[in-house]
Amino acid sequence: MPTYKLPIGPQHPAIKEAFHFTFELDGEVVVDVKPRLGNVHRGIEKGMELRSWNQGTFLVERICGICNTPHTTCYALTVEELYGVEAPPRAQYIRTIINELNRIHSHLLWIGILGMELGFWSYFMYVWRDRERVMDVVEMITGNRVTTSAIIIGGVAYDIPPHMEGTIRRAMDFLEERTKFYKQVLENEPTIRARTENVGVLNKSRARDLCAVGPVARASDLKTDVRFDEPYCSYGEVPFNLITYPYCDVYARALVRADETLESIEIVRQCLDKMPSGPIKLRLPRAPPPGEAVNRVEAPRGELMHYCKSDGKEKPYRFKARTPTLANIPALCEMLKGYYIADIPAIIASIDPCYCCTERLLFVDINTGKKWVWTYDELKRYSLKWNEKNGGRRR
Amino acid sequence: MAMIREIWRNFPKRPATLKYPFERLEPSERYRGKHHFDPKLCVGCGLCARDCPAKAIEMVTFSDGKRRPVFYLDRCIFCAVCERICPRNAIKLTKFYELATYDKSELVLKEALEPEK
Amino acid sequence: MIEPLIAIFKIVVFPGLAFITLLGLVYEWIDRKAVARFQNRIGPLYAGPRGFLQPLADFLKLMAKEDIVPTWADKLLFNAVPLFAVTIPTLASLYIPITGYPVLPPFEGDLVLVVALTTFFTITAFIAGLASTNRFSTIGAERAALQLLGFEIPMFISVASAAMAAGSLSITVIAERQFLPFALLQPLGFAVYLIALQAELERVPFDIPEAESEIVAGWLTEFSGKKLAFLRLSADIRLVLGAALATAIFLGGGSGPVLPPIVWFLIKSIAIVIVSAMLRALFARLRIDQMVRGAWKYLLPLSMLQLLMTKILLLVVV
Repeated sequence: MPTYKLPIGPQHPAIKEAFHFTFELDGEVVVDVKPRLGNVHRGIEKGMELRSWNQGTFLVERICGICNTPHTTCYALTVEELYGVEAPPRAQYIRTIINELNRIHSHLLWIGILGMELGFWSYFMYVWRDRERVMDVVEMITGNRVTTSAIIIGGVAYDIPPHMEGTIRRAMDFLEERTKFYKQVLENEPTIRARTENVGVLNKSRARDLCAVGPVARASDLKTDVRFDEPYCSYGEVPFNLITYPYCDVYARALVRADETLESIEIVRQCLDKMPSGPIKLRLPRAPPPGEAVNRVEAPRGELMHYCKSDGKEKPYRFKARTPTLANIPALCEMLKGYYIADIPAIIASIDPCYCCTERLLFVDINTGKKWVWTYDELKRYSLKWNEKNGGRRR
Repeated sequence: MAMIREIWRNFPKRPATLKYPFERLEPSERYRGKHHFDPKLCVGCGLCARDCPAKAIEMVTFSDGKRRPVFYLDRCIFCAVCERICPRNAIKLTKFYELATYDKSELVLKEALEPEK
Repeated sequence: MIEPLIAIFKIVVFPGLAFITLLGLVYEWIDRKAVARFQNRIGPLYAGPRGFLQPLADFLKLMAKEDIVPTWADKLLFNAVPLFAVTIPTLASLYIPITGYPVLPPFEGDLVLVVALTTFFTITAFIAGLASTNRFSTIGAERAALQLLGFEIPMFISVASAAMAAGSLSITVIAERQFLPFALLQPLGFAVYLIALQAELERVPFDIPEAESEIVAGWLTEFSGKKLAFLRLSADIRLVLGAALATAIFLGGGSGPVLPPIVWFLIKSIAIVIVSAMLRALFARLRIDQMVRGAWKYLLPLSMLQLLMTKILLLVVV
């Protein structure tokens, strides 16, 4: 059966960031998918080596706009591990609150985007109107709506004084009621269910083989959530539920995210109840002692890992981030096969792609008239040889 | 038809859109906007310039012999590190955010400038 | 001497081409404002009072833009499509009695002509997509043709039940013979017609041929500049045609107390436009296979049921 290729991206009204997939189609059915990443590569890992540890916090934050808080939290935890200290308890609770507020805003954003991808503009408008409430709360606490710049090495930069608690609690009540309404629309609207049920199915064993993370894995009935597996900040002290659904399709992923929003609202309330008093940051020396550290956090999109290596100097020796969207790309390619073109936006949207997080090497494509692709090892070997020839590492 | 009550309820109501610039939102107290710099408090230590993540602050020696920071707002990421690290609290980020301009020289803050409303 | 001039005036200005075009722009404004208000937004605001001139501003802007014809496109068909797209619905709307009497003389069977012209438009969309030789356009064209398979027959049958109840195939006669609007006497047929209208106009939940988030702009993708301006104008004119046909056949045309027929006609057709805008705001987009399957599973049996009920009622009463 003759197939034809349909390119989606890097410019397309469906996608917010520049990525490229080449679909092989047979009529309207997708037969094969080939991703080509690299359109949003910004050289952040190299940029981290040129900035001091504290300055690096703000560069790490800008890896992704929507999930900026998990990036700073992970980085701060990693560097604090290098120092061998832990942030004060009050700072841990405030970090948890800010992270959960970020998760609420990210999931509400995603639910609106799902509506947009399905052509359901009214849903998108209403969800984003109500999402403004959580943005206002974040602005009240940290001073900015999106890139919060609130979590720093050693603690947090802004405290939550008692007079803010009332506003936060009222906002949580409002959001809980609205999120329940949006979840109910997801469940009861026949056009949404027709477009998302049994679409983009990824069964449990394939999800485990392809290392899916985050809500994608949890919607395929895998019980994996870094907040449970390795509690960080104050997640160990605040009880909440791990949400899984067994349906394995786009509908399940939507339900997982809606339920996680409700759980996050509950976590924020409990953190406000249990927050201890005390300092909110530590004074730390300018450079951590030599060593390396790895840390994982649960970003709204899944498991996020940062790795830092220090050689005692003011600037990091090496930084690496592995973002959840990159882990979900193989699962995505599997999910797309066998479905219609019309399902493509819904399926791509269902992994909550954040391509600005994803572009971090593992794929190097250089065009100088001659095309060749290097693996990471080849790149490393070339780079070492070049540096040897040019007299040591250029710092 | 799940959203039918919602859309009929909102049909006669005021839209949620604000007609900016005629109707504006007031940012929160902690909003990080344009810098307000008090030169009387500054001692010229240069910590703000050293720690700025975006390298948006430059220490310049002025005609009276004192070293003071010059802020480049087109590079600034409004992270407030300079505000936190100044040992004399000479830098404060105000709530003014309407910084778009046709003239880049307006984005270079030299000396002490009053914050606009 | 003056008769031909009056006829030309009627065809070209009022209530003919210019009036229909103007009505198209006004209806687009009403539709955009209604959808915006349903979504708690403002809609067009700055062009003219309350954004009234926004559709005209969009049209003029597109007329001024560069007109690019793809190298591989079929030049003749590509250039002809916008002409057909505007001419066909405008011609059809000349048979609808907007002021109580249509512009072109009515005859028995002009209902069939009007409904057939709407089919011709969808074929024009199909040709547009094929002539563009762009992958997205081809998919859009194929979807437009499939959608036609879904909505065409239920629409014809629901309109036919109204014709059967009125005993005539002329739109003007059907509009006059409604002592009670057929929307009340034949609610099933009316509902089927409204849903099929949504599909014919390619609006959500049936904007599958032009699905923005999937295939850029479907069969409209390669058109730009003046051609795109005319294609968008054709969408507006089809909205006028669909609402006017629904008003004439199901809502009693221009009948009503006190006010002149044209005012009643406009009020009723604007009500239909607002209902269509509400349907736009309520639903997500369906997939093409779901749409065709749903049309054959639900729309067709309902319209046939309506036809049967009308026939039985006529046999019993008359």
